[in-house]
Amino acid sequence: MTDLVGRLLRTPQGAIGCTLILLLAVACVAGPWIAPKDPEAIDFLGRFRPIGAENWLGADQLGRDVFSRLLVGARSTVPMALAATLLGTVVGAVVGTTSAHLGGRLDEAIMRTIDAVMAVPGLLLALLLVGTLGNGSGNAVIAIAVAFAPGMARVTRSVALAVRNQEYVKAAVARGEGGAWIVFREMLPNVMAPVVIEATIRVAFAVMLFATLSFLGLGAQPPSPEWGLMVAEARQYVHQAPWVLIAPSLAIALTAIAFNLVGDGLRDALNPRHER
Amino acid sequence: MTSVTRRLFLAGTALGLVGLPAVSLAAPTPKRGGTLRISVDQAASVIHPLRTRVNPEYLVAELLYSGLTALAPDMSPEPDLAESWTTDATSSEWIFKLRKGLTFHDGSPCGAADVVATFRAILDPKVASPARTNVGPIKEVTAVDDLTVKFTLASPYADLPVALAYPCARIAPAKILETDLDGLARTAVGTGPFKLVSYEPDRKIVVERNPTYWDPTRPAVDRVEVLVYPDHTAEASALISGDTDLMMSTTASEYLRLTKASGVKALRIPSGQFLNVNMACDQKPFDDIRVRRALALTVDREAMVGFVAGGYGTPGNDAPMSPAYRYYAAAPLLKPNIAEAKKLLAEAGYPNGLDVTLVASDTPGTRAQLAVAIREMAKPAGFRITVQTMPHATYLDQVWKKGSFYVGFYNMQATADAIFALLFTSNAAWNETRWNNKAFDEVVFAARAETDDARRRPLYAEAQKMMREGIPAVIPVFFDLLAAQRAWVEGYVLHPRASVFRLDRVWLGDGAPKRG
Amino acid sequence: MSFGWLLGRSASIVYTILVVSILVFGITQVLPADAAVTLLGENATPEALAAVRTRLGLDDPYWLQYLHWIGRVVVGDFGTSMRTGQPVGPEMFAALGRSLILAVSAILLMLVVAVPLGMAAALNQGRFADTATSLVSFVGIAFPEFVTATLLALVFADTLQWLPATGWVAPGESAGGFLSHLALPALTASVVLVAHVVRMVRSETLDVLHSDYIRAARLKGVPEGRVLVGHALRNALLPVVTIVALDVGYLLGGIIVIEEIFAIPGIGRQLMVAITARDLPSIQAGALIMAATYALTNTLADMAYTVLDKRIRYD
Repeated sequence: MTDLVGRLLRTPQGAIGCTLILLLAVACVAGPWIAPKDPEAIDFLGRFRPIGAENWLGADQLGRDVFSRLLVGARSTVPMALAATLLGTVVGAVVGTTSAHLGGRLDEAIMRTIDAVMAVPGLLLALLLVGTLGNGSGNAVIAIAVAFAPGMARVTRSVALAVRNQEYVKAAVARGEGGAWIVFREMLPNVMAPVVIEATIRVAFAVMLFATLSFLGLGAQPPSPEWGLMVAEARQYVHQAPWVLIAPSLAIALTAIAFNLVGDGLRDALNPRHER
Repeated sequence: MTSVTRRLFLAGTALGLVGLPAVSLAAPTPKRGGTLRISVDQAASVIHPLRTRVNPEYLVAELLYSGLTALAPDMSPEPDLAESWTTDATSSEWIFKLRKGLTFHDGSPCGAADVVATFRAILDPKVASPARTNVGPIKEVTAVDDLTVKFTLASPYADLPVALAYPCARIAPAKILETDLDGLARTAVGTGPFKLVSYEPDRKIVVERNPTYWDPTRPAVDRVEVLVYPDHTAEASALISGDTDLMMSTTASEYLRLTKASGVKALRIPSGQFLNVNMACDQKPFDDIRVRRALALTVDREAMVGFVAGGYGTPGNDAPMSPAYRYYAAAPLLKPNIAEAKKLLAEAGYPNGLDVTLVASDTPGTRAQLAVAIREMAKPAGFRITVQTMPHATYLDQVWKKGSFYVGFYNMQATADAIFALLFTSNAAWNETRWNNKAFDEVVFAARAETDDARRRPLYAEAQKMMREGIPAVIPVFFDLLAAQRAWVEGYVLHPRASVFRLDRVWLGDGAPKRG
Repeated sequence: MSFGWLLGRSASIVYTILVVSILVFGITQVLPADAAVTLLGENATPEALAAVRTRLGLDDPYWLQYLHWIGRVVVGDFGTSMRTGQPVGPEMFAALGRSLILAVSAILLMLVVAVPLGMAAALNQGRFADTATSLVSFVGIAFPEFVTATLLALVFADTLQWLPATGWVAPGESAGGFLSHLALPALTASVVLVAHVVRMVRSETLDVLHSDYIRAARLKGVPEGRVLVGHALRNALLPVVTIVALDVGYLLGGIIVIEEIFAIPGIGRQLMVAITARDLPSIQAGALIMAATYALTNTLADMAYTVLDKRIRYD
């Protein structure tokens, strides 16, 4: 494992990505303490104050400091995306492995149904689910997890099909172990590595999807400093104060880039033959 | 001609403050013909004459239908289908005389029977017309003869002719109301100045001149196209580029841009539209007047006009009437006083401050802005406010009229009585604060029966004073209505009620583009 | 492409639509604050609520509502909108048409940009052009549509004022207006596609360039231009067909946001409006039509792939 991290850090993508993620982690953990100003404090005279010494990234329509809001907002954005990916991956991995273990017609039926569910665009599925569950960060996380699960199930299944034919699984079947034991104790641990890589890349999508849901008013709710929501609120003042819009936009993009880079780096670190 | 109109507009703006009629000035003769293209910011998804709910829907219904009376820009009643009305000494029985020879768009005559059927439908709770609680205390409507309608009221009501101009109290044919009431959601059979040509609720609604309209001098234009722009920036851009002639409303940030565009006239008029913070007067902690007063004392009202109205508004003093109302009574603006607020909170038993959750629905976005600004302003006095936002439907379902602390948003009403009886009397249609102040009820009730202006004014002044002192709700800001038009549009007056448009009086002057 | 293969694909499309219909119907049935409440707003008296619920058939058991609904959908009747009282089907299909115009423009724009860019990167492997291209494609993937859209609008509409910020003009109304209004949304939608496809074209071209038959062609003295266009391009484009089909799925999702931001009355925007208004018939119709479109384009892409590449047989 340490070996893998070392190899990851030696790839250029991995090094840059890990640095960015480290910065994000600092913002998530210590955001409120390192923020130069109270992110909620309103300032009548400072409304739409441009970028400068007073407000490093400018101030918004209520005179709040955009940089401080970004720092504090990291907390309402990044951990949510991680949670959604984790949840989606776990559900997908269990379904995929189970399907591979069951095999035959059941496997076929499960996979056909998953294909059908995947015909609903992820964002649409998430939109419908949030509409059902109600707006809010927690529900957006669940919706993204559900939207991710079918894809993760497919990936896991293809790996698990190979694992199923390994001697130790056959031995477990011969010992007469129960289905749940075989899936959870024998198969799942051995499909984890490729699934983790896939999941890392998906965190980038989760960040974007979560911000998108908040942007559409379905995820985080005002007055939260969630980044997607900040973009949405800043749109109507774009003529007066474009910086209020640009700052959170770039924060989202940088986060997505960070996780993409690490995912790419991980793939390279695991498959040394990266000729292309 | 342009200069005349500009003067007219300025006059309208200034006079709106004291409530004098702007249209009484001599207007130039309208030019007939042409297609007027206007834009609205929201779909007009309901054109049912009794069920419209939002301004774009009121607009379309106003084009297609008529009421018994109409509302002039100074909020006085004008004849519409009714050419005259009289009342008895106690103003509890009213006789309305209809014009002769009125016809619906389908050619059938419009008479007293249609008026009676319309108001019976409005008063039927199953029909769910928003007009039901807004047309006055009507007990019974009967047809005296084919051109005479009698309204018998449950209690004296001097404002009935104004109340009957309510934007979803529009006269529809009795035979349709009795057989296929829901059918009016898709077709329009009215007596209005225009007839429906095509209806795409989310995109475009087209109407054309009704040749049998009762006033042969109106409408001035042949066609009106109503375009829906869900995006304020796009809507303003369309006006600036000349694609549209008139936009019915806009936001403060777009207004700033529109004032700088050439060939465009930005319109602005003070209104009584307000945001408020409702406090349930029958529940802890807001059952204690000291807590409500403490909150009111934390609010910097001048600053609030900047924060939520972009500077285009009037500060409020917790009474629901702005200077745009006829019976507005001026009072010195309440200044923030944190020390006094702290003292009041301590006296009320909260020396260490108190925690409350303020709910704001997500439409319009200014609700959340007000909530956040209040939270920060009230913080130094010891109020620890958590702002909770939610979708409008959830808010209506779970919080509105039920919650103990939330942000409300209301249009200007036509009369003082209408706003008091809508929100603040004990028997108000939406008695959301449960203030239930008997003395206040009596003053409002006495004023509603009073036809003499000189005696009525002090009563309403007293009612406003009671609200400033009792503070069932903090009302810190009234919005100006903002809109814009091309310079070639003539005769348009921005109406402070926000739901009245009078486009049949608008015409296209010199320089207007020819449109198919 | 045998008859059996076609039959199998058709069966899978039907199965997909069936699963999606149950999924969508199930989700919409548990939407909180039912349509009657949303419809009546501030005027929801108990009597009015009861009347509206009966009128809309919201009191029937779920399975009966589903059967009623799917039975009507089969004959092309998607019901009437609870919000506007207008029939849902024609409105949704008209909206789908506008969305498809946007999607196709985005794909065309993508092909024009991504294919030459990808090939150039491959031919300059490891050099500046290559690094720049991968950097651009990397950044393109990392911007969610709403960020790309707002930033593009900020630059081209608000600052430079070259293009209209939002809105839709039908091609019949004014060709120039149509194109200028289409430009920013199509550009936004194509950014992620370009980022995807550039990488794909680059790696496929590299593969092809190192293949035996290209080497053979070069040895035979075929001019370099013809080698590139006649052999490399054709073979490198093959996988692009698949990725375009996959991207249609992405596009149908991303288009929801793009249409919302640029106020385009396409199917995505209709769906957003319907979800906000709890307009069940519109939500159901919109989601179903989107899923069916996706399933169909995937099948079409598979067929195109078979036609293009004779080596692949579906039996």
